[in-house]
Formats: sequence, structure tokens, C-alpha cells
Amino acid sequence: MVSSASTLVIGSGLGIGSSIAQRLRARGDSMIELPPKIDLTNAELVSESLRSLIGSGTVDRVVLAAIDPSAFRSAPIASLTEDEWDQAAEYSMRAAFVALQQVHAVLADGGRVILILPTVVATGVAGLVPLCTAVETIRVMAKAVARRWGARSITVNTIEVELAAFMLGDNDAGDTEIPVVPVLGQPALPPASAVDDVIGLIDMLATPAAGAITGALLVADRGTVMQP
Amino acid sequence: MSGLSGLMEGRVVLVTGAAAGVGRGVAAAFGSAGAIVGIGVRRPEAAEETSAAVAAAGGTPVILKCDVTDAVQSAAAIEQLVRDFGRLDAVVHNAVSGRSSEATDFENTTLDEWEDHASVTVRATWRLAVQAYPHLQKTQGAYLLMSSPAGIEGSERAPFYSAVKAAQRGFVRALAREWGPDHIRVNSVAPLAISPALENMKILEPERVKRIEGLVPLGRLGDPETDIGPPSVFLCSDEARYVTGQTLVVSGGRFTSL
Repeated sequence: MVSSASTLVIGSGLGIGSSIAQRLRARGDSMIELPPKIDLTNAELVSESLRSLIGSGTVDRVVLAAIDPSAFRSAPIASLTEDEWDQAAEYSMRAAFVALQQVHAVLADGGRVILILPTVVATGVAGLVPLCTAVETIRVMAKAVARRWGARSITVNTIEVELAAFMLGDNDAGDTEIPVVPVLGQPALPPASAVDDVIGLIDMLATPAAGAITGALLVADRGTVMQP
Repeated sequence: MSGLSGLMEGRVVLVTGAAAGVGRGVAAAFGSAGAIVGIGVRRPEAAEETSAAVAAAGGTPVILKCDVTDAVQSAAAIEQLVRDFGRLDAVVHNAVSGRSSEATDFENTTLDEWEDHASVTVRATWRLAVQAYPHLQKTQGAYLLMSSPAGIEGSERAPFYSAVKAAQRGFVRALAREWGPDHIRVNSVAPLAISPALENMKILEPERVKRIEGLVPLGRLGDPETDIGPPSVFLCSDEARYVTGQTLVVSGGRFTSL
């Protein structure tokens, strides 16, 4: 159990969430993780788990990187059953709501919430309608809570990374099939670890100097999309 | 409305949530454009005014029982239009949860409230698309979602409404790519318009409405039929044949940086 100066990572079981947790752990950050296989749509379970980890304390920083893996399966929407649509699109929306809601109860004033999402909505991706739908939902939900929680000096921001980086983090693709995302150009910057890029932004957002940044979208794709 | 004349002549359109407000205005605008307008409503008896407005504008109204949270009803509404008129050219999904104008206590509410919003605005968006797909393929038609500026900026008061309206924007961008090879166009409109809730507010809190209007560079809230209707018709018409994957913010300039 921790009492202060800690980072809570939600979604540490897969991809970039897993890699972020490993990096923070390796460098000795005070860090806690929700159990990777917890059902994030179960508010009671999430609340109990947080309380068992934190007790009556608070956390200063939350990193949320939780998209259900079914959302990464490329398929035309007309081929999906209602259950498949729900799992691929709506489950992650519900999970984001429950996670944000429960986090609010354990977050210190002046805390930082950082959501990590794949950058798929800027271009839209055929075959990934559920994922694009979920990502935009979560991004705007983050903006709404940024407005709600600003009075407590809590900031809520989103970092987007390329889909492959989100799915894999530091890991090799192996047999994982990475859907093709249309790109508007080649990265402007030389290739590097997306996990390093994201950790750098997480650290930056934790500084007092970033206290005025909230509701923002930071795209860490090394200049690939350059959104208008 | 003369600019719309003939733009959708003989075309068949389904408008959901068409009993009042923006839905009624958009349905009437399609009437002005000469369309056969399926007026999708939960309670057919509530559609009489819309039906009269469509007919008065020059269109052909067809009242359809269509609670979009009911897969059987929405499928039947589409099938009835295709059976009776031989085609479906556009679907405009405008219906929203009955709780869409309520404030949401995000920190204390439950998934039940989320479900109220998601079932109408997220799941029905997907389901209507799937049900309309084979018919829109044949006509190389259009799917139009009535989103909201709240779905872009994120609303402190209405975080669920904002989130589900954002869902439609993400959906539009991806489905436009997926359906592009079929020449089906997918777009959304984010309107700022007078709604039944705002009409009530005008009576109960006129100063608040004045404040809202003061934020609009054009100095007023949009009229559902004459301000929101024409851009919606345009996006479903051949005139917008090269427009897909877009959200058109129709807000009198209130939202200029979204």
C-alpha cells in the first residue's frame, strides 16, 4: 500500500501500458497497478481494488491505457454481431468511464490523469470502425472530465501514439497482426522508441510548468500525421 | 427553402428522432427537396406535426414506428421504405436519449445512465448502418449522423452526451473509409439549434437564452428547418458527391476552432 507520490497504471497487461509500467518500475518510481485482468466495467470491483492498493491514501498521477484487444481485429462493420460490436467498441468506452470515475475518488488535488490512445481517428481506418469510435469517445470524455476536475487543479490529457506502438509497446510483433492505418506522410523525425516518447510526455505533464495544460491532445507519432 | 427544390426529388430518406426539434426541421427540409421522407419516431401519434411539415414543404411523408434501440423496429422501418418505394438513398440518424438534455453527475452516476445514451447514439448508429448498408450500396447513397459541438469540445455538464456524440465523429471518419469503395458517403452535422429544451428555457430562463445567443457571432440560435436542414440535405445530395468523412459544424460561428 502506498500513501503518496505514486503513479497508478491502468491497462498494464498489454502493449504500451505494460511497457510504461515496466519502465516506471525499472527506474524506481513509486507505482501501483490495477490487476491487468480486472474487469474495468465493474465499478465495485475497481473501487475495491483501488482501496486495497491505496487504502485511504491518494495517488498523484494516473496513466490509463486500456482498449479491449478485440478492437484491433480488422473487420467490416457489416460482418460484426451485436456482441462483437459491443466488445470491440462499447466495452472500452464503459471501461474508460468506470476507470475515470473511480480514479477521481483516489486522486490527489493537483493530480495528473494521462490517457494513452492509438492515433487512428485523425485519418479514420477501414475495418477498425469500432476502435475509431471508442477512441474518439474516450478522448472527448477526457475533455469533459478535464473541465469538471479543473477546480481541483487536476489535469486530464491524452497522448496518442501510432497504433502499432499502442498495441506492442516495447514488444516484438511476433504473430500479432497489426492493422494498416492510412498515413498522411512519413514521420518527420527519425524512428525511436514510442515508449520513451510517451514516458517523456508523462514526465513533462507531471511538472508544475504543465499545470495549465488540460483537455489537450498530444500526438507522439514523430510528426507522421500533423493534424490540422 | 427554394434552394433545395428538386435536390432530392424521388429519393427516399429515413430520418430518426423526427418527431420534434432538429429531426423535424431536417425532415421538413428533405420535404422541400422533394424527397420521400420516412419519419422515424417511437410514437407514431407524435409524428403528425412533422408529417404535415414535410407535406407542406412539398415532400412525401411516411410515418414509421422506429425506436432505434429496438433492432426489429429499425429493420422494419428500413424494409418498409424499400418495399414501398423501391430504394433507400439516405439515412439521417438524429435520435438521442430522452435524457440527453439532463446534466450528468459523472462522479456518482452508474452505467445505467451511460446505457441510456449509448444505446441510442452509439449502438443504434452502428446498427442502422448495418441494416441500411445493402440498400445504400445499390443507390450509392449517404449516411448522415446528427452529432453535436459538445461531441468535439467536451461538455462539463453533459459528459455522457459529449462522449456519445464524439463516438459518432470517430465512427464517421472510419466508416467513410470503409464504405468509400461502395461510393456510400458518411458524414455528420454538428448543429447549434433551437430544441424543445431550449424553447422551454426561453420561457423559463429568457436571460440564459440571451446569454447563449450572445456567444454566437451571428447573434441567434439556428432554426432546425431553415438553418440546419439545408446543410443536412446538401450532404445527402449529389451536390456533395465528393464529400465524405466530414463533420460540418453548423453553429452560426459559435464554434470556430473545432
